[in-house]
Amino acid sequence: MRKPIAWVLAGLVVLALLMLLPRPAEQPESTSAGPEDGDLREAIEETGRRGALVDEVVFTQESDVGRIAGLIERGRQQVFAQGITNITAYQRLRDSRKGDYETAYGSNTELTLNPAEFEEGLNPFSNRRIREAMNWLVDRRHVAEEIYGGMAVPRYLPMNTAFPDYARLAETARSLELQYGHDPEKARRIITDAMKEMGAIRRDGQWYHNGKPVTLQILIRTEDARKQVGDYVSNLMSDLGFNVRRQYRTAQEASRIWIATDPAAGQWHIYTGSWVSTAINRDVSSNLSFYYTNRGRPDPLWQAYDPDETLDNIARRLERRDYTSMEERRELMAEGMELAMEESYRIWLVDQLSIIPRAANVALAADLAGGIAGSRMWPYTLRYEDRLGGSMTFAAPSILTEPWNPVAGSNWLFDTMITRALNDPPLLPNPYTGLYQPQSIQGAEVTVTEDTVAQRSQDWVELERKETIEVPADAWIGWNAEERRFRTVGDAHPEGTTARSRTRIRYEEGYLDGQWHDGTEMSLADLVLPWILSFARADENSPFFDPAHVPRFKVFQRYFKGWRILQREPLVIEVYSDQVFPDAETIVAQQALSPLPWHMLALGMRAEKAGDLAFSSHKADANRVPWLSLVSGPSLATLERHLGRALEQGYLPYASVLKGMTEGGNPAQRRYSAIQDWYRERGHFWVGNGPFYLHSVHPVEKTVVLRRYEDFADPADKWLDFSEPEIPEVTLDGPMMVTQGKSATFNVDVTFGGDPYPKKAIRNLEYLLFDADGNLQTRGQAEPAGAGRWQVSLDADTLSALGDGANSLEVAVTSSRVALPAFASHAFATVPVGTRLMEVDDE
Amino acid sequence: MSSRLRDFRRLGWFTLRRVLALFVTVLIGVYLTIIIANMGGKVDELRKIQIRATVSESVRADPAFMEMDSKERNELIQEQVQLQIEQRNLDEPFIWRSFDYLAQAIQLDLGRAEEMHSDSGSRAVYDIIVERLPATLLLFGTANLLVFFVSVYAALYLSRRYGSRLDRAVIGLAPSSAAPAWFYGIFLILLFAFVVPVLPAGGMVAIPPPADPWVYAGSVLEHLVLPVIAMFLSSIFISIYSWRTFFLIHSSEDYVEMARAKGLPSNLIQSRYILRPTLAPIITNFLLMLIGLWSGAIILEQVFNWPGLGTLLFQAIGHRDTPVIIGGVVIFAYLLAVTVFMLDFLYAILDPRVRIEGGEQ
Repeated sequence: MRKPIAWVLAGLVVLALLMLLPRPAEQPESTSAGPEDGDLREAIEETGRRGALVDEVVFTQESDVGRIAGLIERGRQQVFAQGITNITAYQRLRDSRKGDYETAYGSNTELTLNPAEFEEGLNPFSNRRIREAMNWLVDRRHVAEEIYGGMAVPRYLPMNTAFPDYARLAETARSLELQYGHDPEKARRIITDAMKEMGAIRRDGQWYHNGKPVTLQILIRTEDARKQVGDYVSNLMSDLGFNVRRQYRTAQEASRIWIATDPAAGQWHIYTGSWVSTAINRDVSSNLSFYYTNRGRPDPLWQAYDPDETLDNIARRLERRDYTSMEERRELMAEGMELAMEESYRIWLVDQLSIIPRAANVALAADLAGGIAGSRMWPYTLRYEDRLGGSMTFAAPSILTEPWNPVAGSNWLFDTMITRALNDPPLLPNPYTGLYQPQSIQGAEVTVTEDTVAQRSQDWVELERKETIEVPADAWIGWNAEERRFRTVGDAHPEGTTARSRTRIRYEEGYLDGQWHDGTEMSLADLVLPWILSFARADENSPFFDPAHVPRFKVFQRYFKGWRILQREPLVIEVYSDQVFPDAETIVAQQALSPLPWHMLALGMRAEKAGDLAFSSHKADANRVPWLSLVSGPSLATLERHLGRALEQGYLPYASVLKGMTEGGNPAQRRYSAIQDWYRERGHFWVGNGPFYLHSVHPVEKTVVLRRYEDFADPADKWLDFSEPEIPEVTLDGPMMVTQGKSATFNVDVTFGGDPYPKKAIRNLEYLLFDADGNLQTRGQAEPAGAGRWQVSLDADTLSALGDGANSLEVAVTSSRVALPAFASHAFATVPVGTRLMEVDDE
Repeated sequence: MSSRLRDFRRLGWFTLRRVLALFVTVLIGVYLTIIIANMGGKVDELRKIQIRATVSESVRADPAFMEMDSKERNELIQEQVQLQIEQRNLDEPFIWRSFDYLAQAIQLDLGRAEEMHSDSGSRAVYDIIVERLPATLLLFGTANLLVFFVSVYAALYLSRRYGSRLDRAVIGLAPSSAAPAWFYGIFLILLFAFVVPVLPAGGMVAIPPPADPWVYAGSVLEHLVLPVIAMFLSSIFISIYSWRTFFLIHSSEDYVEMARAKGLPSNLIQSRYILRPTLAPIITNFLLMLIGLWSGAIILEQVFNWPGLGTLLFQAIGHRDTPVIIGGVVIFAYLLAVTVFMLDFLYAILDPRVRIEGGEQ
């Protein structure tokens, strides 16, 4: 008996020793020649490197946020793709030598107030004045610094402080922020008066109405710091004399109450809400309509919103873009913001900072709102700071969540983050401003009707206005599934039609000479087939009809007025649409066509037509067939079968139209052979043209491997400048005391990383002068006074108007390089003539 | 001949009654699961709210819809919400759906998941479960078999050395099993993945998975070490303790004392006089341990990032994906029923004292 036990124990000891034998730490292998600490650009030039700056990116799943810092410090992972708000993890990364982080500002926390008159009992928040007073009651700085541990910035208005509209309205925002600064006494006074007017009485420090204590039900979310926020607000309300009932709920439990129930039923008063943006939104003018009117959502809470008529009109006009200039839009927004603060259906508390952990020697462009997962530019900028090439491991809480296909596949955040690296879109949004940059187009001309408000910010796009824009009769406006031919504008509108915009897009020379990852040449068919398929999927006569596609398509069709190919080399297309955006760059991005390899699509189309697979989840469920995945699962065998037949038949979808658009020779044979080889080698059918190709997919192991596409068209340093948001660092300095009757000059230093901020990158540097009561006295533009230095000169009359007392000078700096504005303030006193000045004393 | 016929008739009658009883038990168990998993139909309401919120936010965030006015946008939201509700059959009353779920489950037609997919992208519940099965069997099979055999053999050994130092040490360590495996797991990860980084912190295989099958197998073994040790540590001492006590009781039976008095060799006493009569409970324990592998261990799998059935069930509960929850439960219920059924016969084979009810005692 002893022997077997001894053997088992000995075996276990040997196994343990084997496992514990020290091994060299795994280092990512660098496959490209590159200097240790040299200039990356020089290295790129020397090696002629194209495409990505690293050789391999491995994605894996990691759901335990607590381990991330340790894994990064140990070199086992380099990036964690999700923004985290865990204060411990943040502090550990902040203090780590090997770890660092990117910052994203996309989420916020607010208090949703229930404004309904209750069927039974008193609802204090049905009173507008009490709702407004909540702004003075809460100390946003306390919430940001104490509850969120510095991982948040105070927010007052219904627009994100990192978005361009906030910068455009910087002075209004600053003025409102001062007006609604923390003033608990004022809040108490207003709430007391309003409660009394509503028939409540205060007895022994407690509010009563009809003899019963006034009870507030506060719905507190428990998953994050909103639990502490809810407790903080509960304490404040309790101190004011309300009987507070705290209801701690998770998202789903709470949603049953605050979204689904009739607000008049009185099941809740305050809810600790939060909203998330996954990318910088350059136009938040519809926020007023969404957050403050019953048009926001069809849910019962929104139906209880009955804002002031002026606010309602402004919200409606902004939503419909019913303004004639950007200045008018700005004025509407400014007035709307003021009225929204008075209405206060929501008390905005903080814009939360989430950190995206990464190794200290890693750089990449993370979106200012959406972090890495929201950035289109990460594949082009990801690199080790000290070398070219190498392998990098990304972790994300979930990957391969749903089947991948480019038509209606997974749209989960981290899945799309990966697939973005596999395709090369014509335009990329700037991660710091949200403004689109040309990636594979030379330029564009946008023509809008004279009544349309649009602006351009960059040279690659030209903007002009015309009284009317006629859509040419030969432009394609649809697809006739039965006759298998394009419908032209002439067919659809024999009498002719007009559009609000015309966008002429010039792609780069040789764009269609590019290659797909499987080595096949691109062709015009790659651009046209996805467009035809989109129409076919909305056509009941087509085998590709998908009811889930119809609602979205209807919207597209309502605005779409036609397109045509003006020239094949270089490729120039012209798109007519009734949909316009305030930025001409966004109009181009929305109208530019992106190609997809037709042979890859054709396999899916064959499988869907045969009833074996379906592109969308909806159709797959309806037909009880697998949802098409190009990368894994039961779809692969089906696609392989269809590939064999397509190869035999030389299948070209919609051959009558696409035949003249494919590359020469025998394109079907070449393409299908290439994808067959690709599948044999890599085990999947995803072919793209991005800076990375999909090397391998391991579904159960939840691992996806991307490798650099060495034949990518662009040099590797194309987007190297976009690796860090150049948020201006501002200091404002000047006299502490100014004697009445004298002028004063204040210096504003704007820098980034210690260097002067380029003057051409400063879009606006405005100052705001507030008197001792916090009233805005004057505003103006600062004057440049040397590299990185600006000056604010206030003359004697302006200063005299302030009277004696403590004043505040604020400056707001907006840059063309980053959406986030920067602020600085300087307090100074205006004193009567004869007062001894501190500066004099110092001397 | 007539006696044998009577035996067969008794056997047939017994089998029929057992099968029926077990079937009814499975039926009730599965239907209760359906009702509980759906909170009596309340989950429908939650899922509808969730669908509405998700659709509303996705429409609002999409620049393509920005120029629509609110009325049109809300109509679009409503249309998409309705499509998703129909896709998930949430427009049907829960009570009817619950019987559909039951009928399908009992026929082992696991159907399609409502929210989840297998890792490779299949919607079929069968694929979703089968995909995770090997990982679960590997981890829990290795650990449980190791614990089972080591503890049985160690217990036999200790039962012969009652009161020895080793015996007292094992008894002293038995309370260490109060801590669950995931608790040991956290410390083991901290120790061997971070302080002395010689083993991986989690996952089933290296990242990226090696292409060579042998290297892949080696990598899986490497990743298996820490979770297996965690499971082993958390249950070995209590397991040895309980088997040891069991064997001690049986070692003091009269017939064992008689065998000792007759001077039979201790190996023979152990195998024939102690192990043989205790085989029935040992096999029961072994079989229940085997089917227990089915459920995995939610927290342990989370701690080690192990793609097993426990994590799957956890995700299914999170997604409120009734077919996947039912799929997991119904297979377990059938396995349990079959095991119990088999044990009834095994007892009769292993222990001559056991007779079918109604037979001679």
